[in-house]
Amino acid sequence: MSQGGAQSPRSVAFRREREAEWTRLEEMVEIALRGGLRKLDAWQLEELPRLYRQVLSSLSVARRTAMDRALVAYLEALAARAYLAVYGTRKTRRGALLEAFLHTFPRRFRALGGEMLLSAGIVALGALVAYALISLDPGWYDTFIAPELSQGRDPGAPTEALRAALYDGGMEGGETLFASFLFAHNAKIGMLCFALGFAAGVPTAYLLFSNGLMLGAFVQLYASRGLLFELMGWMLPHGIPEIGAVIFCGAAGLHLGRAMILPGQRSVADAIGEAGRRASIVVMGCVFLFAVAGVIEGIFRQSVTDDSIRYALALFNFTWLLAWIALGGRDGSEARLRFGGTRIKARSASGSEAA
Amino acid sequence: MGGPAPQKEPRTVEIICPEAIPLRFELGSITARTMAFFFDFFLLTFSGVIAIVGMVLLGILSGMLGPLGLGIVIFFILRQFYFALFETLWHGTTPGKRLLGLRVISKDGSSLGVDAVLTRNLMRDVELFLPLGIIAAPEQLFGDVPGWIVLPAIGWMLVIFALPLLNRERMRAGDLAAGTLVVFLPKPRLLFDEAARTSYAPADGSPGLVFSPRQLSFYGEHELETLADLIRKIDEGKVEFADQTIIASTIAKKIGFEGLEPWQMPTLFLRAFYKQQRAELEKALLFGKRKANKWE
Repeated sequence: MSQGGAQSPRSVAFRREREAEWTRLEEMVEIALRGGLRKLDAWQLEELPRLYRQVLSSLSVARRTAMDRALVAYLEALAARAYLAVYGTRKTRRGALLEAFLHTFPRRFRALGGEMLLSAGIVALGALVAYALISLDPGWYDTFIAPELSQGRDPGAPTEALRAALYDGGMEGGETLFASFLFAHNAKIGMLCFALGFAAGVPTAYLLFSNGLMLGAFVQLYASRGLLFELMGWMLPHGIPEIGAVIFCGAAGLHLGRAMILPGQRSVADAIGEAGRRASIVVMGCVFLFAVAGVIEGIFRQSVTDDSIRYALALFNFTWLLAWIALGGRDGSEARLRFGGTRIKARSASGSEAA
Repeated sequence: MGGPAPQKEPRTVEIICPEAIPLRFELGSITARTMAFFFDFFLLTFSGVIAIVGMVLLGILSGMLGPLGLGIVIFFILRQFYFALFETLWHGTTPGKRLLGLRVISKDGSSLGVDAVLTRNLMRDVELFLPLGIIAAPEQLFGDVPGWIVLPAIGWMLVIFALPLLNRERMRAGDLAAGTLVVFLPKPRLLFDEAARTSYAPADGSPGLVFSPRQLSFYGEHELETLADLIRKIDEGKVEFADQTIIASTIAKKIGFEGLEPWQMPTLFLRAFYKQQRAELEKALLFGKRKANKWE
C-alpha cells in the first residue's frame, strides 16, 4: 500500500496481520497469570501454545527488522508474560501435598545422609562433652543449662524433687496452650537451624552442639541419681520426634553450608540454590514432627505417668518415624514431581490429537 | 564522536526459553520490593493480631485455655508461612507483590516449585528478623557469648541483610538459596503505530511528500524514536503549532528539503518523514545495516 508514491514500512503490515492474535494471547495470559492454567477453557488451552510460539517468533522478527521501539517493547513484555504463563505456573494437583509428605520428604531426607550423620554426631558430641564434664565437676551444670530453663532441676535439688518433676501433672487445663507454645517455639528454632546454614553452616553446628550440651547435662543429672530409666520414659515419647527434627533441620542447614564451601563443579550460587531447594522439604517435614512432639509433650506427658505406656509410645514413635524415612517414596514418583512444566504440553497435545 | 547521552535503563535479566529465544525480564527494584514487603508484613501482622484477640475473647467467654493455644498456632502459621502460602497458591505473588506488579520467578526459567518458595521464605528469619532482633535485644540472642564471636556474627548478618545491593540480580539470601528472582512484570501496552496512518496525498493526484533516499539517509534509529515520541505528543495536542514548524524546518534544512510544507503543514510533514524514514531504515535493516543514530 504505497500511497502517494512513498512506501509503508514493512513493520506496519507485520503488525496489522498479527495484532489480533497478540491481543487474544494477552487476555489468556492475564487469566493464567492470576489463577493458573486451569482457569482457561478448553479452546484457550488448545490455542495458547500456538499463540505463544507465534509471539516468540514475532518478537525475534521484530527485534531484527522493526524500527519501532513501541512495538518491540510491547512484544518483549507480552512474550515474557506469556512465557511465565506457559512454563512458570505450576498446576497443583489433588494429593500433591500428600505425595510430598509420603514420598518427597523421605527421599530428600535420605539424600542428606552424610549431613544427617554429621548433625547427629554434633549433638551426640555435645551430649558426651556435657556428660563427661559434669561427671567430673557438677559445677559445670549451670554453664550448660540456664537457671530459668532448669526450673530447680539442678545438682542441688533432692532426688525426690527430681523424680517428682518427671511425674508432675503440670498445669491443669492449660495442656493445649502449652502444646501449641512448644510447637511454635521449637518449629521456629528448627527453621532457624536450617536458615543459619547460610553462614557456611557454622551457626547451625553451634546450635546443634549447644542443644547436645543441654541434653547431656540433663541426662547426667538424672543418671547420677539412678533415675535414667524414669527420665527416658519421660523424654523419649516426645524426644524422638523433637530431637530427631532438630537433627534433621540441622542436617538441612549443614547441607546448605556445605554447598557454600564445596560447590563442586557448579557455581556457588547454583550449588546453594540446589541445596536450599532440596533441604527445604526436609524442614517442612520437621515442622510436622515438631507438631507431633508438641502435642505429646504438652498433653500426653502431663497426663500419662505410667512408665510402660510412656515406653510403648516411644517405641511406637520410633517405629513409624523410621518406617517413614526409610521406606517412603521408593517407587519412583519423583519424575512426575520434577517436570511440572511439561504437563501443559501433554494437555494441549491431547487436544490437537482429536483434530 | 559523541552520540546521545546514555539513558538510565532498568536492570534486566535474560532467560533463554525452551524455544531458544532470549527473553528479557526487568528486575524488581529494591524500593518496590521493600514496599511490597511492608504491605504484606502489615497485612499478616494485622490478621495475626486479630486472630489472637479473637481467640483471647473466645477463651475468656468459654473459660478455657484451648482457643489461646489455637491463636498461638494461627499466629505462628501466619508469620512463618504467609509468604510461602501466597507464593505457592498465587503463582509467585503475594498481595503486596501484586500491588506493585512484582513476581517471583525461577532463575533457570523452569516453573516455580513449592520447594523454592519454601526455601526463599525460610531464609527470611535469618536475613530480616534476626538482624532486627539484634537491634531490639542483643543480649537475648547472644546471652554471654564472648565478643569475638558476636562481632563477626553481626558483620555476617549485615552482609546478608545488604546482599540485594551487592549482586547484579538483586537477589536476597532467600533468592540465592532458592534460585529465584523477583521481576517487575509490567502489563504490555501497544501504542498507536504512527506509520500506519494513511499518507498525505494531494487532491490533484501528485505524489505528495516524497523524500529522496539521500534525504532519508541522514538520521538513524535514535532520531527516529525521538520523532515517534514527538508525533505521539502532537496527537495528544501537547505540541504547539509554532514548535512544530521549528522542528519541521530544522529537519528540512538538515536534509536539504526544499518546499513550503514544513512551515505550512508541519504535522503532515513530520508524519510523512517519519513513515518514509522508518521504511528506509527497515529496508536497510533487512540487508543487515543498522544505523543507530545520525553520527554513525
